Amino acid sequence: MSTRASSEMPGLGQAAAVVVGIQLLGAAFLYLILKAEGGLEVVGLLALLAAGFYLLEKRPQITDFVMASFSRTPVVALVTAVVVVVLFPFAVGNNTYVLHLLIVAQLYAVLALALNFQLGSANIPNFATGASYGIGAYVSALLAINFGLSFWLTLPAAAIAATLFGFLIGIPSMRTRDTYLALVTIAFGVVVQQLLNNFDWTGGPNGLVGIPAPSLFGHSFASPLVVFGWKLPSQANFYYLSALLVVVAIVTAHRLHSSRIGLAWNALRADEIAARAQGINVAWFKVLAFAVDAFLAAFAGTIYAFYVSYISPDNFTFLVSVTIMTMVIVGGMDNIFGVIVGAFLLTILPEKLRAFSDYRLLFFGIVIIGFLMIRPQGLFPQRIRSYGESR
Amino acid sequence: MAELFVQQLVNWITLGCIYALLAIGFSLIFGVLNVIHFSHGDVAMTSPFIALAAAQALAIAIGVSGPVWLIVAACFAVFAVGLIGVVLDKVVIRRFRDAPAMMALVATVALGIVIRELIRHLYPQGSNPHAFPRLASGVALEIAGVQVGWFTLLVVALTLVLVVLLFAFLRLTPLGLRIRAASEDRIVARMMGIRDTRVFRATFFVASAIGAIAGLLFASYAGVTRFDFGVMAGLLGFSAAVIGGLGSMPGAILGGLIIAGIEVLAQTFVPDGASYRLVFVFLLVIGVLLFRPEGLLGRPVMVKV
Repeated sequence: MSTRASSEMPGLGQAAAVVVGIQLLGAAFLYLILKAEGGLEVVGLLALLAAGFYLLEKRPQITDFVMASFSRTPVVALVTAVVVVVLFPFAVGNNTYVLHLLIVAQLYAVLALALNFQLGSANIPNFATGASYGIGAYVSALLAINFGLSFWLTLPAAAIAATLFGFLIGIPSMRTRDTYLALVTIAFGVVVQQLLNNFDWTGGPNGLVGIPAPSLFGHSFASPLVVFGWKLPSQANFYYLSALLVVVAIVTAHRLHSSRIGLAWNALRADEIAARAQGINVAWFKVLAFAVDAFLAAFAGTIYAFYVSYISPDNFTFLVSVTIMTMVIVGGMDNIFGVIVGAFLLTILPEKLRAFSDYRLLFFGIVIIGFLMIRPQGLFPQRIRSYGESR
Repeated sequence: MAELFVQQLVNWITLGCIYALLAIGFSLIFGVLNVIHFSHGDVAMTSPFIALAAAQALAIAIGVSGPVWLIVAACFAVFAVGLIGVVLDKVVIRRFRDAPAMMALVATVALGIVIRELIRHLYPQGSNPHAFPRLASGVALEIAGVQVGWFTLLVVALTLVLVVLLFAFLRLTPLGLRIRAASEDRIVARMMGIRDTRVFRATFFVASAIGAIAGLLFASYAGVTRFDFGVMAGLLGFSAAVIGGLGSMPGAILGGLIIAGIEVLAQTFVPDGASYRLVFVFLLVIGVLLFRPEGLLGRPVMVKV
């Protein structure tokens, strides 16, 4: 891989063109699939996507070339990404349903990135991400409803509560492993969901209603966003907020991946005993993975609660955790970009399968099984760490 | 007080036997394939639907109905579910044998969704709960003023017979020997001339058929069956197998009895315990695994470096 990358190093202008082109292509594809109405359209677009991945599979040098282009012109890549993300709601216009899908997809992207620290980096199963997500949502909602705390204050409070929960799940992880650990996390998830379902002060199965919309500098998030005479629906507020959270999650993931912590997690994944022999505090890094996962999930939960202003235990079931897990596996473990693509795909796909109305869960299940059989390494397989090669 | 005690004891034994039968399937499959078959609960809960459909088909085709024919339909369902297990193994689960454990777990969870949705769509009005008759009715005997029904005796007797048969099968028959050999070490077993595809087929048939019987008893105990019963059946059966120690048959039975025990205890002695029963069950699961990470009767995993 290294020799090929250096021999086909793209020129600066060429690289910039590739970077901008790829990103615009991605945005256009996302736009089309969001707008697609009929079942035939969706199937056609998915076939296009599959063809694209088939091409990448056959010609790995394309991937290398694109990767090299991105690392050649990081500023161009960043600016294009920001422009695309900022302008996307304007392209969507008044279609609130599409905006809603985008918000949910972004929140799931954050959740999947959170889980990726464990499942992807350290290969620790965790079926309790949905519970951490729920704890974040419930803590912030309860604080806002009962004590009138503003959104911006409930955010850190929810994160702290969920992180404590993460440490709590992390403790058994020091002793159990693999299937047994998976069951422990499933158990934690079920316990949290059942407690939310039964306590009086969480509203029981009816959940919590009337979570006030957050506001910033006097601008309420429930009112439409007006920019230079352009009027965007109120969902746009939450779109930008969740986009910001995705950025935070990506930066966190990237920094952690490049730090000794990320390296320690990878060492755990490769061989736990060897890692221990190298002086890595295995127990601490395992617990830390749980805590980081819960921390990020709580942010997503808080934004979700304030966005829909109504939460119930049904939003945080075992199946939600499984969905997040599937996103990480489908996208590609330990690959930040892949995980985000996985989250978008698996959020938008079931919605688009509504064309098949009653059969969409069935299709969803079949698609996941088929995917795991055909491409178990995920859409974007994890890349080998490279040091000092690309710069 | 004594009455309450005996009554709860009866409930406990009935439920414990059903969970034990479910857990045996999980444990058997894990022991041989090293794969968690998370949709085993869903496979098991297809059996009441198949039995109902078969009973109706009998009633329409040859105009017979009644308890005897219900038993015939139930036997058919058990056989059919065994075959379903074999097919699922061949089509899906076998491919995840050598994949990371999490792959198999997620794939079988998805498989569970598919099975549930198929029941919902293929069975007429599958979204609604369907009444399921008691496989045995009437009072058999009375202990301390508590009436013990034939159904309880049927559950206990059936469980005992199945467990004895399973042990005999695993210990005394050539196929059982092969299954045990494959579960000990698949590669060495293959070198000894054991065809593992046959072993897997047999394992899946036996595990799914036992699960089907558990499913029938479960629906009969609840008096009703629903397409999504498999989720809970799967979670509870899996938990029972894990706290007993995966791969251990006595462990699965012990696990089933423990899970049922805590459920009955919570319902009896904790105010509002019925709605909190799952909380108690899963707290117990966490507690057990905290102190016995390999399950109560599981073999501790020794890692050689």
